[in-house]
This record gives sequence, structure tokens and C-alpha cells, in this order.
Amino acid sequence: MEGLVEALFREIPTGVGSKGKLKLNSKEHRKVLVKGARWVVEQGFGSIDDLEHSESGGCIDGADPDLISEKAYERGSPQLGTLGSGNHFTEIQYVDEIFDESAANMLGLFKGQVTVMIHTGSRGFGHQVCTDFLEVMQRAVKKYGISLPDRELACAPFNSDESRDYLAAMKAAANYAWANRQYISHWVRESFMHTFGTGPSALGMSLLYDVAHNMAKVEEHVVNGTKMKLVIHRKGATRAFPPGHPELPGAYKETGQPVIIPGDMGRASYVLIGTERGMKESFGSTCHGAGRLLSRHQAIRRARGRSIRREMEDMGITVRYTGRETLAEEMPEAYKDISNVVDVVHKAGLSKKVARLKPLGVIKG
Amino acid sequence: MMDKYRQLDISGDTGLEITGESIEDLFKNAAAGLCELITDTSSVIVSDERKVTFSSDSTEDLLVKWLNELIFLFDAQGFIFKDCEIEIENNRLSGSISGGIFNPESHERRLLIKAATYNGLSLLNEGGSWKAKVIFDI
Repeated sequence: MEGLVEALFREIPTGVGSKGKLKLNSKEHRKVLVKGARWVVEQGFGSIDDLEHSESGGCIDGADPDLISEKAYERGSPQLGTLGSGNHFTEIQYVDEIFDESAANMLGLFKGQVTVMIHTGSRGFGHQVCTDFLEVMQRAVKKYGISLPDRELACAPFNSDESRDYLAAMKAAANYAWANRQYISHWVRESFMHTFGTGPSALGMSLLYDVAHNMAKVEEHVVNGTKMKLVIHRKGATRAFPPGHPELPGAYKETGQPVIIPGDMGRASYVLIGTERGMKESFGSTCHGAGRLLSRHQAIRRARGRSIRREMEDMGITVRYTGRETLAEEMPEAYKDISNVVDVVHKAGLSKKVARLKPLGVIKG
Repeated sequence: MMDKYRQLDISGDTGLEITGESIEDLFKNAAAGLCELITDTSSVIVSDERKVTFSSDSTEDLLVKWLNELIFLFDAQGFIFKDCEIEIENNRLSGSISGGIFNPESHERRLLIKAATYNGLSLLNEGGSWKAKVIFDI
């Protein structure tokens, strides 16, 4: 495990101030924004099968690279193919318990199987798009006479120029995020290949699902018995579509969408599947993680005088990290117990438990 | 004497409470506080300069813009603020920033700050001294 985690840490640029190893020119950068993971696969980093197991095929239509500021290009360019910091991670796990044999079979999950979970997104590029458009929206709030409880909730009517531009820019950020995860997935496979001396196909390394979060999408939902198009903004939430939903790939039409819920680096993560009830009650959405129990300060205070890395090692989990404080902030006890959180989701019928994944090794920023 | 800045304990995010004898002083202290969240700035050696000029609709918004400019300079160019000579007049900021380049191998990696937000933002002049509160998205 140590060699594998070391290989991941070497292959995937991680942490505050880290730069990617890709050198894209501006034409290529624009292609990333328009085509997302599709472009990355075209360059040889992954396979068509990856795209078939990604939300929207790893690329959302309608991104407009002309609406992206120079600053966002400058911030995003060196960060493509980097993990980031904070709660972002790449984790090696194993399937420790199966709750639904039939669904697990259809998803290709089985007890004792090794899995890898990647949590990262659009990096500084997405943050710059957000910063740029928050300014636009601050002006829009005044222009359209909108009253807000908090200025950070700045917005504009959906059919305004401001909203149209923002959505086209946000889609570019989402495509950047899909591309980012595609590169990292490729390097995960290479790390396994170098460590075990055999290729990803022989190791059976296929993508279960790649899904976006912290994103708004126009979707069709039933409200008071009437089908309507709604803007669904999932923040701290992830998409969880039921069996038969037209946006799901063939492999998951019968089971429903795989719902990936990371826990903390010491306890567990879960794979669930979307349900009809979730579609009706939470617009096809489920929580995206456990949620914090301790503030960052509280966690750092509680970690003082302790070696979190050693504690993790004592639990059989290998950790590589770049920031000492980040590791303290992210220690298991800083989070709610994911098993309790997932039980609530399962009992409420918003998603259905399929498998529990236990951590073996993790890299963090 | 009050601290120039104080880190706020917010679950999930982080923030700063900042004071200053003048508005320029407050902006400078806010910049110093922000960069101390990113790294231990005492180990950063001044080697570069950046010129800045921008304006906003209010002084509060100018503070958010200023901090987001520094976040951009760090995230895109690895530039860490050390000091500045700025003027603020009619919601317009202009001047120069001196700083150094972050080296992930030798400088401490603390928080990756995504953005300064408008959430709970405040800026006031109380009895001649300035006070502000800014929350950062991390």
C-alpha cells in the first residue's frame, strides 16, 4: 500500500501552490472548456468507456469559452490535472460490505474488491469564474431590484443576459472539472500499472461513475402533478437519478444512478443508487458527504500534540499529504459518522445503500 | 492596541476580523491576514512587484475585490503579498504590491483560499478607526 500511495502522490500534483504537469496552449485550453473529459480521452488519457460512465458523457453542451476572463484562463491553465487541497482527495479503498447483492452485481461491485475514489473539481478556474460572475450578479441584483437575505446569494432572472452568460461560463467550469478528473483517473491507472507491473485492463480498472456537484442544471421534474423544467442547484448535494431516467447510461438504466458519498479518511464511504422517491422528494438529489462536526479551528486544536498520520497508520490506512493543518482539519473525528448520515438517506428512501467502502490509503493536499 | 487582524472560527470556512487606522491601513492588514492563512509569510522574501488599479461600487466591495485580486495573484502566479503602497479614493484603489513567489517545497502550505465572499461582509468606521469582517470560501 505504501508504494501505491507513494506512486499516486508522485503522479498527481497535490496541495496548496502545486502546479500541474500539463502544458496546454490557449487553443487546447478552450477545447477543454468546450469538450471536457471527451477532449482528454481524445488525447489518449482514458477510454470511451470512461465517458459512457460519466454524467452527461463527461461534457455538458453550451459552454462558451469567449465568456471566460483572462484571469480565469491564467488561473486555470497551470492547475489542470491537479487535486487541490482542503477536502479534496484520492483514496484507495476496498468493498467491506454489500447491502444489495443484486444492485452490486449490476454495478460490478463485490466484497473485497479494491476501489479508488477521486474528489476534486474545477480548481482555481471555477473559483475565478465564480468570482468574476459574482460581480456581474451584484450589479444585476440592483438592476432587477432583487432583495436578498445575503449578498453572496447574488442572482439574476433566468432569462436575462447575465444568467445566460453565467450558465455558459459555469458549463465551461464543469467541463474543466470533468477534464481534471479524467486526467487524474488516468494517472491513478498509471500508478497501479507501475506499482503492480500490469495494465488497467488486466487489473479490471473500470470507471463506476463520474458525477458533478456544486452545479446548477436545467432538469425536468414533476411539481404538483405537472412536468416542469427547473434549475436544480446541487450544493453539498449530488445527483441521484432513479432507474429508467433518460439521462442515465444503458448500464445503469435498471439499477438507477450510482450515488457516491465520501465519508472521512478513517471510517468509510458509500455507494448507493438513486430512487423514484428521491426523484419526487429531493429533485433526484442526495447528500454529497458526511458534513463537518468540528470547525477547522476546533479540529486543529484537537489535533495539537497528536500525529494524525500515525493514528491513521495504526488504523491500517496509509496517508500522504502536503499540508499538516489540512490533515488535522480533515481528521476523521472532524466529520459526522458517514454511516449514520447514509442510514438517514437510506431510511428516508432518497437513495438506497449498495456497498460500504473502507479506506486503505489516501493522498490529500 | 487591537490586533491588526484575527482569524474567525467558522465551521467549513474561515474568515478575518480586521482593524486599521485608515482605510488603506485596513486593506493592508486584510492582505497580510489573508496571506498568513495561506502560508507563514515570514519565510517569504520580497522579490517581485505588482501594480494594481481597480474600482468598485462601494468600499466594502472594493475590499472583496482587493482580496480576490491577491487570491488570484497567489493562485495563478504564486505571488505572496508582503507589503503595499496603495491609495483609496472614491471607491478606486491604485498602487503597488511587493511580495515574493511561493515555493511549495520550502514554504509552509496552509489553506487553499478559493475566494473572498460577500457573505456577512462588513466594513465600518468607528470613532476614527476602521473595522471589517470578511469570510473566505475554502
